[in-house]
Amino acid sequence: MENSAEMQRFIEFTADSYLNITLQQEQQKAMVSEMVGKLTSVCWDKCITSTPGSKFSSGETTCLTNCAQRFLDMSVIIAKRFEMQ
Amino acid sequence: MDSFSSSSGSPPNTEALMDQIKAQLAQAYAQEFLETVGNKCFAKCVTKPGSSLSGSESSCISRCVDRYIEATGIVSRALFSSTH
Repeated sequence: MENSAEMQRFIEFTADSYLNITLQQEQQKAMVSEMVGKLTSVCWDKCITSTPGSKFSSGETTCLTNCAQRFLDMSVIIAKRFEMQ
Repeated sequence: MDSFSSSSGSPPNTEALMDQIKAQLAQAYAQEFLETVGNKCFAKCVTKPGSSLSGSESSCISRCVDRYIEATGIVSRALFSSTH
């Protein structure tokens, strides 16, 4: 039973690393969902101007897609703008 | 290694904790989603609140909720499967 303390430490270390990795993964997933949620809200306000029908028009679908992608482009530009200073 | 070989891979306590965290995150997400959809569809469908929700308001709300879910999917796809 000499190495039981060592074993204990090993178990704790393994548990710690496992928790850290899975926590990071969950954190990333949460960030992604939050971003999708925010963008949907912004682009909904921009693109869906009439009362919602039983189907999106192709214009609305395109607008939503463009809106999300341009928002990303803009974020990149803003980030670069602050890097320059 | 016999003492903990029964738990395959990860220690049991940690796994329970992660499940709890995941469940809480999912609940928080659902709550926020409901709140957002409620606000958006109330703004679109109930422009002049009367003494009760009319039939057309109710059907507008259910269409609106469907569209909002669809919009979430479109935005998500635009971000992650984009070719730009």
